[in-house]
Amino acid sequence: MAKTFERGMDIPHYKEQTEHLPVQELPQPTELIIPLKQHIGAPNRRLVSVGERVKAGQKIGDSDAAISAPVHTGLSGTVREIGSRITMTGQLEDCVVIDVDPEQEPASYTADDVSQLSTEEIRRRIREAGIVGMGGAGFPTHVKVNPPTTIDYLILNGCECEPFLTCDHRLMLEEAEEMIAGARILSKVLGGAKVIFGIEENKMDAIEVIKKKLAKEPGMEVVPLKVKYPQGAEKQLIYAATGRVVPLGKLPAEVNVVVQNVATVKAVWDAVKYRRPLTERIVTLTGPGAVQPGNYRVVIGTPLSHLLNCTGGIRSDVVRIVMGGPMTGFAQTTLDAPLVKGCGGVLALTSDLVRSSPEYLACVRCGKCVDHCPMGLYPNYIGMYGELGRYNLAKEWGALDCFECGICAYVCPSHRPIVDFVRHVKRA
Amino acid sequence: MGTDLNLQAASSPHLHAGDQVSTAMRDVTIALLPVTLVACYFFKFNVPFLIMVCVLTAMFTEVLFRRAMGKKPQLHDGSAILTGVLVALSFSAATPWWLASAATFIAVGFAKEYLGGLGWNRFNPALFGRVSVILFAPWLVYLNNEFFYWRVSFPGIDTVTQATPLTMLQMGLPLPNMGTFFIATQGGGIAESSALALILGGLYLLYKKHITWHIPVSMLATVFIGTALLGQHPVYHLLSGGLLLGAFYMATDWVTSPITKKGQIIFGVCIGIIVVVFRVLLAPTEGVAFAILIMNAFVPLIDRLTRRKKFGEEKAQLIKQTVSTGANVAVKS
Ligand code: SF4
Ligand code: SF4
Repeated sequence: MAKTFERGMDIPHYKEQTEHLPVQELPQPTELIIPLKQHIGAPNRRLVSVGERVKAGQKIGDSDAAISAPVHTGLSGTVREIGSRITMTGQLEDCVVIDVDPEQEPASYTADDVSQLSTEEIRRRIREAGIVGMGGAGFPTHVKVNPPTTIDYLILNGCECEPFLTCDHRLMLEEAEEMIAGARILSKVLGGAKVIFGIEENKMDAIEVIKKKLAKEPGMEVVPLKVKYPQGAEKQLIYAATGRVVPLGKLPAEVNVVVQNVATVKAVWDAVKYRRPLTERIVTLTGPGAVQPGNYRVVIGTPLSHLLNCTGGIRSDVVRIVMGGPMTGFAQTTLDAPLVKGCGGVLALTSDLVRSSPEYLACVRCGKCVDHCPMGLYPNYIGMYGELGRYNLAKEWGALDCFECGICAYVCPSHRPIVDFVRHVKRA
Repeated sequence: MGTDLNLQAASSPHLHAGDQVSTAMRDVTIALLPVTLVACYFFKFNVPFLIMVCVLTAMFTEVLFRRAMGKKPQLHDGSAILTGVLVALSFSAATPWWLASAATFIAVGFAKEYLGGLGWNRFNPALFGRVSVILFAPWLVYLNNEFFYWRVSFPGIDTVTQATPLTMLQMGLPLPNMGTFFIATQGGGIAESSALALILGGLYLLYKKHITWHIPVSMLATVFIGTALLGQHPVYHLLSGGLLLGAFYMATDWVTSPITKKGQIIFGVCIGIIVVVFRVLLAPTEGVAFAILIMNAFVPLIDRLTRRKKFGEEKAQLIKQTVSTGANVAVKS
């Protein structure tokens, strides 16, 4: 029996469309729109000005704050503009817009001997490369691997439990070597923590590949996990892989565990071995409305419109374009937002799939949301009190402990927008 | 590309499981089809006629009340139709149509719409309507006189005067053969025609995941054990007196049963106990309806007492206030 967590639910995963497609390079865009802040923490200040020439790999934004991560440009060019642009969340953010040189001189990186580096130097290199959690959370990695407690387990999150997405799956197949090397580095930084690869069983090929590579690697193992949403949520994954329960309102370090997404760990390898900044990632373009679905390697800052233009556009019956996963991602109203460090997917969805609840009903107390909420909350009451504006009661039933996995709104037969109510309560 | 796009603003999650309230209501109605057919075999056209009267009354009442309360009618959720069917099936086939219609009117108008509409009602509407006409029987005699000339009756009701198995049990009469009894019997309510058909429908609902085993099993097991301990025929008790109808179709009503599985088991056991007390100590019939309604009133309390721990919480906290009643929703929606 594969391990798993309590509650949650099986959601059709729609991964067939892209799971067997090797990663392809996306042609280079003519402009990059690079948000100065792509992490959780203090904002960055810009390091370049309009009209300035930038080289590939150059740092363009940084901050002195402890919790922050710099951003870099992946391509050389000229800074055309610095100002507010729409980003994937729909918010305006300060962005550096770069006219990309048609002729690129590839940045050259030299390989260092990792074993000679001190943990201080490793953390410094991770920070300098601007590495943040690439599973969507965006927490600066150098902070995460400098926890206040001793760490027993480093869990590598290869669950990719969001439907449709296959970018981490392809990464585990195609760049397993680098990812494992990155894990080795982080394990060392964390004082020799045991490494667990948590992978859902719908990626058996990845499980096999990594198992084979780990055969002679002490202190590293693959733990196959049941296919269940949200298996990749931090607390749920920790419970499934180690049986430890992170207390409410506490971080994983509390139970001596650190979780890192697999793509982040691969980026750590590049950063430490080559001092290569995080300027590209794999993005899954998929959904019934995508003309050329696939896994594409894109430069951070590439506009969404460029990705779609290079892949034949989208079908005319697409009613929603989502950046991120379908359960937690963001619907786009324009194609202007850039692809960023935390965006693993672009989905072109048709009306038969999308949730919309213009005319939702009252809660009929079917209990489905309660049965499936991975946090053990009462989404029915949170939604009911949230809707009535009685925020204190909504909080008593757990609104603040909700991490917005989306299951409750997904199952609700009354089509209640429960997660929206949660957001209202959190803001109130 | 780009210009001809019409992209909706929307929030996550972007997928939906596809379930709808109306689908569930429809499936419950379908699950009642087998027993309805058996009843039609016994009571002929009286059955569809009574169902038709109740369904039409239910729909009319819902529209009337919602309009009066300034809300949009919501017939498409299918709950009015289902309530109509359930009320009809809980009567005997010889029941005058105006009585069934009055029960439906109370069920949909008062027990459901007046108390806030689907989702806010605390009592199972069908049972509430059914029980109301029993309690108000003395006043309803008036209706009987008024409507006497409009009575409708079809062939097939000659046998309904036959005593129900429960009363026979009570009076010490010889019981019908268990096998016949299980497959089909005449007597009592329309829905008591066939235990087998009710169980089939119940299994269908379990299969469709609209209900779970917790309420029916805890309720039936309690009645079985309780009556056996008191020296009665547990199987006859299980198969008669609307117990199966109550266990699979009434007590499992989403709106009026506890929200957690643990709460549902407590709920089922309590209903079972009340049924046994009613049947053994008091009147032989209608125990099920009263038991379920009584426990409906305790659902908020059960919910509060069975509040589970959040993931990562030390100990579940008791919440002082829970579900408001329909009174304060009437103003919104
Ligand atoms: S309440 Fe929050 S955590 Fe629970 S199912 Fe809903 S979105 Fe997920
Ligand atoms: S899923 Fe919807 S209808 Fe069912 S209990 Fe939760 S909020 Fe109520």
